[in-house]
Amino acid sequence: MTFAFSDEQQALRKAVRAFAADHSDEAAVRALAESDLGYDAATWRLLAEQVGVAGLLIPERHGGAGAGTVELAVVAEELGKQLFCGPFLSSAVLATGLLAGLAESAEVADLLSGLAAGTRVVTVALDEGAGTWDPADVTSVAADGPAGWTVSGSKRFVLDAVGADTLLVVASGPRVFAVDPAAPGVTVTPLHTLDATRRQADVRLTDAPARPLDGDAAAALRSALDTAAVVLAAEQAGGARAVLDMAVGYARTRIQFGRAIGSFQAIKHMCADLLVLVESAYSAAYYAAWAQDGGAADAHEATCLAAAFCADAFAKAAADNVQIHGGIGFTWEHPAHLYLRRARSGLALLGSPEADRERYLRAVIERSTLTGARA
Amino acid sequence: MTSDADLRSQVSGWLAENWTPGLERGAFLARVVDAGYAVPRWPADAFGLDLSDEQAQIVEAEFRKAGAPGSGQDRANLWANTLLTYGTPELRASLLRPLLEFRVRMCLLYSEPGAGSDLAGVRTSAVPDGEDYVVNGQKVWTSGAAEAEFGMLIARTDWDVPKHRGISFFFLPMDQPGVQVRPLRQMTGESHFNEVFITDARVPAVNMLGAPGEGWKVLQTALMYERAVLAEANQGASIRSGHQGEVDVIDLARRYGRLDDPVVRQDIARLLTLRTVNRWNNQRGQAEREQGSSTSVASLGKLLMSTIVHETGRVQTEIVGPEIMLEGEENRDGDQANFAAMNAYFTSIGGGTDQIQRNIIGERLLGLPKEPEVDKNVPFREVRRSG
Repeated sequence: MTFAFSDEQQALRKAVRAFAADHSDEAAVRALAESDLGYDAATWRLLAEQVGVAGLLIPERHGGAGAGTVELAVVAEELGKQLFCGPFLSSAVLATGLLAGLAESAEVADLLSGLAAGTRVVTVALDEGAGTWDPADVTSVAADGPAGWTVSGSKRFVLDAVGADTLLVVASGPRVFAVDPAAPGVTVTPLHTLDATRRQADVRLTDAPARPLDGDAAAALRSALDTAAVVLAAEQAGGARAVLDMAVGYARTRIQFGRAIGSFQAIKHMCADLLVLVESAYSAAYYAAWAQDGGAADAHEATCLAAAFCADAFAKAAADNVQIHGGIGFTWEHPAHLYLRRARSGLALLGSPEADRERYLRAVIERSTLTGARA
Repeated sequence: MTSDADLRSQVSGWLAENWTPGLERGAFLARVVDAGYAVPRWPADAFGLDLSDEQAQIVEAEFRKAGAPGSGQDRANLWANTLLTYGTPELRASLLRPLLEFRVRMCLLYSEPGAGSDLAGVRTSAVPDGEDYVVNGQKVWTSGAAEAEFGMLIARTDWDVPKHRGISFFFLPMDQPGVQVRPLRQMTGESHFNEVFITDARVPAVNMLGAPGEGWKVLQTALMYERAVLAEANQGASIRSGHQGEVDVIDLARRYGRLDDPVVRQDIARLLTLRTVNRWNNQRGQAEREQGSSTSVASLGKLLMSTIVHETGRVQTEIVGPEIMLEGEENRDGDQANFAAMNAYFTSIGGGTDQIQRNIIGERLLGLPKEPEVDKNVPFREVRRSG
């Protein structure tokens, strides 16, 4: 039933929360933000081994848990609260989701087993600079030559590409190819990201050797992108909750004019409005997660709604958190900006809230035209 | 104790025997009260069956299934619950049963021109005189005042103690020369409410609920039941006579050729998002209640609804363009947009303004400290007032 977490789901939440508390406190996040890779590979493997987060989407026969979007959302929410650094969204959700939706070749099976064990990191190279993450906008081309398949093109905003041992490159069609980032013709250039806790890179491919992965690539991409959208929304709902807690904690204890600043309505009302936003973001993310897992007719509609709403909610909450903190919130030493950076990147990652709202409205209009239902 | 299954079949059997749709309501309600189904959670000596909440819900569910009225009043009958909890034996004997049979009309005499958000600042006075109290003052925002037989009244009986401690709670008989009702016209042109002028009106002392000076406590109970009723009645949806509820903004935009405008599309999508999210919040609140986990999400609905109704007015305004300068039946779209924009204040002011709502959320849900209250420990007589 929607919004009723099972005992297993609650245990998963508890385990992830405990892990994140141990391994992703502010000092750890700051250290990783300054590291080359942006995350600690050993910690990521540990999270995969101890809690199984890398294999949630992977069928049991490949060593995964065969879980659904709700479980992914629970993990993302808890990791998001702590700004956990690691290739969860890129590898465990987007790449894994895409592979799980393709035809099961020996290569796909091998990749999935490695992903489930946490020994492999795989990422999807899709967007080419437009920021739409729309396979229809892809212009990279694949060619079948005497030495086998190659792909050529220019990819941007590729998540966790440094450190990935396989790239899933989307070529026009769409078709999906597995590419070794160390192969000749592949250049991975790290981007200077606003959010140093989630890295991106440019990937340039010039006749790069590629192995085609068969199956219905369009459907697999659609499904993986929808899953990732809800997972990102849940992460944002978690981040929004964390900054609200931070703001409220400060408003309770910061004294000015002889009173806790949270007793002033100017601050109190900001916090109250944020609570409405944070609770609503949570409802939206989990409604969409349950709709996906249940194959509900409104799953896509709910996904687009949640993606837009949660991105905006986190951005607003993170910004207001800075304002409520005043001077200290404006400093580098205070963690408010770490969340603001994550939140602001979220306004463009996997597409913009405006684009998601447009997709949502299109789905609503289509449904109301089909059923004659009122919007 | 009766098993759930037995109870279910008892109730459905009783309904099969006693209820047919279209039955004269008064006679049926008397039978519901006799059977104990009106207030199944209440004690047997007060028309109830002493049932647990779970079993009472079974009774209510059977009534709902049959489409029969009258059950579940131990949750939803504001007047009867307040009377049962705090009424004198005399008042309970005379009014409890008629209230459960919906034979007595009631109204609320709380707000005053000088006591809106600060309800504990009421200045209507009640002074003992023999077996009665004599009441003087003015009340406002009273719906159903002209038809009501009794009004639930808060009035000040002690001016020398701080404001919350000098208030008493009464069932004031409305049909007397000292009570004058005047309709209040809202900014939309409609009249849903009244002003009530009270001049030397008399109320028997046995009509006091709780002890003298305990009226604030009684009021909290009454407000709690009122919120339960409002939540059930999908509050916020004040539907204008002759209008079919909410306007379909997609259809409106299509008719005005604005459905291709990306700005309008974003605004419509935002509005529909808020409506949808509010629905999901409510669904989640219910799921969490059923799971027995504490939840704050339900307390946020009023504030969110206020945003929704104001946004609805704004988006309609944006779509209809210059039509917004017009109203009346011959200018239906402009009229509806203006009505939506103005009637939105019904939600953002009525039943606690958005600002008071934010205080409540900040203090009760987020644990933020209250503002210092300058009138807190001051005899009410000395508290500053407007004008």
